[in-house]
Amino acid sequence: MQDSETRTAREEWGSRFGFLMAMVGAMVGAGNIWRMPFTTGQNGGGAFLIAYILLLYVVAVPGLMAETMIGRYTNRGVIGAFNQILESKRARGLGLVVLIVNVAVMSYYAPIIGWALYYAGHSLLATFTQPGFQPQAFWESFISNPALVIGLHTVTMASIAGVLLFGIRRGIERVVKWMIPLLVFALVAVGVRGVTLSGGMEGVAFAFTPDWTYLTRGSTWVAALSQALFSTGLGWGIALTYGSYLGRYDDVPLGGGMFTAIGNTSVGLLAVFATFPIVFAFGIEPTAGSNLLFISLAEVFPELPGGALWAVLFFVSFFFATFSSGLGITEVGVTTVSEETRLSRTGSVLAVCGIIWLLGLPSAYSSSFLGQMDFMFGSFGLPLSTLAIIALVAWKLGPERARVIDLNRNAGIYVGRWWNPVVKYVIPAVVVFILGYGVVTSIGTENQTLMILGIGLMIALVVVSTTVMSVVGDVSSGSPEPTSEGGN
Amino acid sequence: MALSTVAWVTMLLAILALPGVAGAILIRSLRTEDRKLELLREQGNIDSYPPRALQELREWVQTNPNDPYAPEARQRYNECVRSLREIDEPYYDWSAEQIEALETIEE
Repeated sequence: MQDSETRTAREEWGSRFGFLMAMVGAMVGAGNIWRMPFTTGQNGGGAFLIAYILLLYVVAVPGLMAETMIGRYTNRGVIGAFNQILESKRARGLGLVVLIVNVAVMSYYAPIIGWALYYAGHSLLATFTQPGFQPQAFWESFISNPALVIGLHTVTMASIAGVLLFGIRRGIERVVKWMIPLLVFALVAVGVRGVTLSGGMEGVAFAFTPDWTYLTRGSTWVAALSQALFSTGLGWGIALTYGSYLGRYDDVPLGGGMFTAIGNTSVGLLAVFATFPIVFAFGIEPTAGSNLLFISLAEVFPELPGGALWAVLFFVSFFFATFSSGLGITEVGVTTVSEETRLSRTGSVLAVCGIIWLLGLPSAYSSSFLGQMDFMFGSFGLPLSTLAIIALVAWKLGPERARVIDLNRNAGIYVGRWWNPVVKYVIPAVVVFILGYGVVTSIGTENQTLMILGIGLMIALVVVSTTVMSVVGDVSSGSPEPTSEGGN
Repeated sequence: MALSTVAWVTMLLAILALPGVAGAILIRSLRTEDRKLELLREQGNIDSYPPRALQELREWVQTNPNDPYAPEARQRYNECVRSLREIDEPYYDWSAEQIEALETIEE
């Protein structure tokens, strides 16, 4: 562990706008662009949206407040934050769990960014509007070419490393400050074009006409809970890491909590506008998932007047969404490694990006392996990470203590006592429920083996991480230690 | 195809509750940040808690004097009280009477 006295002053965000764009950029990803539209479509349209928005305000907003707060309070990355709050060296292994889950998630997310890069690049080359373009054949020839997919995975990780080498202010902030506004602009533009198409309003009607019977179905609420909890990036360690670079006068609840959760979902809503009208105008199956993006939409752009331009706007914005998430997920590892080892920022970036690149090779090589990784880490790893971070705030630091000492300090809005039970009971209960629901619904299906493997992997991860930290954990950074200057 | 009334209402509510609220928060957040920076430039310091939050912090310190985090809480409370006495214009909505009535806590 690096001696804290040898550290240089911790970097801070250069502007409020930069921090807000970085937070939204990190949370807006592939899930918002392709998952939210078809999840909305599958679960009763407007009825799902109502359930989702309700849960977003009740669960995601308070949760993100807690995670960002613990980052600013400790001024440390995930392992450092756990070390600072927890006395037990073994329990500090939960910080390592969060770190490993992040690296694992990024290992299969990086190839997806590579897919987005490939389609963005081809949209700029106007490939999709060439005569005789065959979207299905184009997708299959791409995904069955391991050299190409691995090459794009390599370019992706090199690009992310290239940005992260410049640090928070000159790297991440500089990129997301233009990337996210452009993403929003592009989705709005595609959405406006879509609703003005003949038949486009049918897509709007499908998305927003509530089928109230869906509100009586448990599956609708589970889908809404999952989307509210995990598409907002709650508990991934990103809000904690980005929050750790806030200055002492910065607000947490308004920006880190409300804006991040609601801004992220707003982009999902824009994606609904950007996809559903086009989907309905051209008679495409609206619940087609990732195929909707890479095959169905690629098929319709040539048929739109000015299709090449709309394809550029859509696929480049999709690339921006995935790339800015990749920056956030990778930064969790970079911040932690640079704090907890003797590596410099540059060394940490190269080490973390190199490890992710290496671990990502199987996912880049095989999309079915990618799917299995997504199932295991998306269904079990991320909820575990969320539980660890929320437990740190709610069960160790304590919600009332956290609220009165730090959350309301320099805050843009006052957070009342209602926050305490939500963070302490509601969010953990929701996460455990989703975990349990995932297990129960996997029994007897083709995913049963993967589910058992995923649970076994997470148990092993916790055992190994707590054992490792009980051996190498830094005793001197135990709780309760006054925070560093930036968090004061 | 014309949208039904309920679809219009749902869509407008979704737009209001998501991009509408996000836009309002963004504007408010940037404005308050500008004001903080302006006050910091002019005064070199700002108050760090609104009245209600500072009152809660005081109550928490008084009810948990031996809590391991109490020294830090006292320090933050006193720092805010001293700032309020030093500065001409508070960031939060403090009245002169409220500031006058504040007392530091023994650390």
